[in-house]
Amino acid sequence: MHEISTKLTPMADFDNIRRIDGFEHIKNEYPTYLTDESKLSPEACDYLFFPMDESELAAILKQMSDRKLSVTIAGARTGLVGGCVPCKGALISLENFDRVQAVYYDQPATEWRIQSQCAVSLRSLNSQIASKNFPDLIRCGDSAALSGLQRFKNDPDHYFYPPDPTEMSASIGGTVATNASGARTFRYGPTRDWVRGLRVMLSDGETLSIPRGKYFASPGGEFTVYDSRGNDRRITLPSYRMPRTKNTSGFYAAPQMDLIDLFIGSEGCFGIITEVTVALLRRTDKMSVVQFLDSDEQAIDLVDALRNEKRVQLDFLEFYSGNALDLLRQRQKQDPKAVDMPAIPEQAGAALFFEFGFAPMANKLDYTALEETIKSNGASLSDSWAAYENRELQRLKDFRHILPETINAIIAERKKQHPELHKLGTDLAVPDSRLRDMWQVYKDRLSAADLQWVAFGHIGNNHIHINILPRNGSELQEGLKIYGQFAAKAVEFNGTVSAEHGIGKMKIKFLELMYSPEHLDEMRAMKLAFDPDSLLNPGNIFPT
Amino acid sequence: MKIVVCVKQVPEITDVKVNPETGTLIREGITSILNPFCEYALDHAVQLKSEHKDTEVIAITMGPPQAKSALLRCLELGADRAVLVSDLKFAGADTWATALTLSSAIKAALSDVNLILMGKQAIDGDTAQVGPELAEILNLPQITYGVEMHLTSSKKRLRVKRETESGYEVLEVRLPAVVSASKGDFIRRIPSFEDVLAARVKELREISADDLDLEETELGLRGSFTQVISVFPPQQKQGGIKLEGLEPEIAARQIAAYLREEQFI
Repeated sequence: MHEISTKLTPMADFDNIRRIDGFEHIKNEYPTYLTDESKLSPEACDYLFFPMDESELAAILKQMSDRKLSVTIAGARTGLVGGCVPCKGALISLENFDRVQAVYYDQPATEWRIQSQCAVSLRSLNSQIASKNFPDLIRCGDSAALSGLQRFKNDPDHYFYPPDPTEMSASIGGTVATNASGARTFRYGPTRDWVRGLRVMLSDGETLSIPRGKYFASPGGEFTVYDSRGNDRRITLPSYRMPRTKNTSGFYAAPQMDLIDLFIGSEGCFGIITEVTVALLRRTDKMSVVQFLDSDEQAIDLVDALRNEKRVQLDFLEFYSGNALDLLRQRQKQDPKAVDMPAIPEQAGAALFFEFGFAPMANKLDYTALEETIKSNGASLSDSWAAYENRELQRLKDFRHILPETINAIIAERKKQHPELHKLGTDLAVPDSRLRDMWQVYKDRLSAADLQWVAFGHIGNNHIHINILPRNGSELQEGLKIYGQFAAKAVEFNGTVSAEHGIGKMKIKFLELMYSPEHLDEMRAMKLAFDPDSLLNPGNIFPT
Repeated sequence: MKIVVCVKQVPEITDVKVNPETGTLIREGITSILNPFCEYALDHAVQLKSEHKDTEVIAITMGPPQAKSALLRCLELGADRAVLVSDLKFAGADTWATALTLSSAIKAALSDVNLILMGKQAIDGDTAQVGPELAEILNLPQITYGVEMHLTSSKKRLRVKRETESGYEVLEVRLPAVVSASKGDFIRRIPSFEDVLAARVKELREISADDLDLEETELGLRGSFTQVISVFPPQQKQGGIKLEGLEPEIAARQIAAYLREEQFI
């Protein structure tokens, strides 16, 4: 079925909705609402709204539409490309949409699911799932919600929500709007793979309820959306093919695709996600290992070997380049307590960080395949750090996070001398067959430019974050130029200009490297079919 | 030199939640770990071993069969072998019965021990009694709250830096002796993948009440002088004053007025 109808939402009294008027007031009293982790500067907006429910959200959209003011939607403001940074008009914070609504077992899919309002953070969601303690359900749940919860508690197994973006304070709605991914995307895929249902408010204030598996594009590549007044809008899918990599560049498109996938990763261009239903997975014990290696090239060899060894199933596969380890060694010397790990082995010239299933109390442990793969690549199992208790797993994760923190601290220090400086972190991914080529491009170009840089991240998905640390303004300009060259190269290798951060307001130029003007027009036509007056999230994906 | 490290398995949380109706600990979803202070004690033992190659480190615990995981962790972190003292008859042991059982197990299973190390306390019970009691039962000298320890050149004495409420003391004790460990100023070890796999093939011996030279009346609940009647969390401190639903400027004025009134500013 490719036809779907929206439903009218009752509208609250606009005057009773909590709001802050005037940019000066917002800027002085609510500055944190005006940017995200991109630290992009906002354009002056007239209002900041805090709707409590969909009826208030619909009333805001109606009023803003009448006043010909656009709206920007903000979740937890953890994005890296300025998606929620206001661009004139009004800013709507969805922070009050913060209730978990149901936990239930879906019999046909044989899986546990959580239905939640959009502002619940991943940290809160995971903590409630882990403890099987859902205060919202106990406080406000009806009998069906309470019985679902009781059944969940009675299940002897424990569960988790697999997507793990680095920033666990992200809101679930935000992670769906951006199709967030993280280290475990290597095994479990991005957020898209775990979304089972969405509730979306369109720019006219009407809502769509979209379960996965019900609405599919027609063979001609169309959806038809009817509103409560009997009008219809035809959505024609773009004709491009998505890169065969992890990707958040441009709208998702595939023949006879599920309508739900159009909204996932659309960065708020089509509608406002108010509710999300996601699937959970049974939790099993894990071991994480940081395996030290001689060189970056040996690390890439081992990545290939691990991916080709079908007996080994890793949850994630991450990378520290040799120069990243050097940076961490320096930090260790300056502040050993902050790093809180034994000395990084002197001979280590790179490292891989990976996780796999592990039963600590099993009578016999057989990791022959993994051991053989590591040893046959010339690495030694004794040059590693291993963890399986929760606090130890967290310790290795903290070690992973201390690298970007250290980079941020260095940039902040340099900014004192050169205020124009900022970090340059790439987000490019290429197909498996091009990992080695792309690495060579990075290394050759950066060495020739004599810039300070480190590399880390999701090497299992050929998605390495190159971080350039400019020392002055001219190095920043040089770095920006090189980043553009890398993006063009990634496209040449059939990769993507943004694997997980999205396009937002920061990478629009890169999108033009990846898609032809015709394809960009097709995307724009889809946006206008859903949002004819371009009310929603102006400046995201398309220049204003 | 032979070093015995007495360890305990504890719940992996610091804020223990208690069921208010039954007065029992809520253990749902909580995993167990090696008590952090025991890990510090083990770290000292492994450090001594790295300084004196002819040293053997043996981890020992009294606990249910699942306490084996704490011993496996010790073996991963550098212990050479381990002893699990486990029997239903040990259930309900207080600190005295625990110390008596452990001391008897050390005598029964291990000979010629030069040094017994323990954590200063377990993070679940927080009693800090088992170490000193064990020293008394075995009639050994003891130093508590050790943060650094080195053998003297004759290897017959141990020099220990210990924490006090006002600073540090450096003491020497003749061996054999019992020393309990505080956190100290070091980075915790982490095993390699190889260490984790190797731990599974190291010797882990299990002994029961039958192996000990103790009467049943000296074991577990029967051998305990104290008994836990109930467990309850301390009364929560009252929250401060919370201003809600106010414009920031008005709220700031009210806070400033309060601070002035209470003469904080």
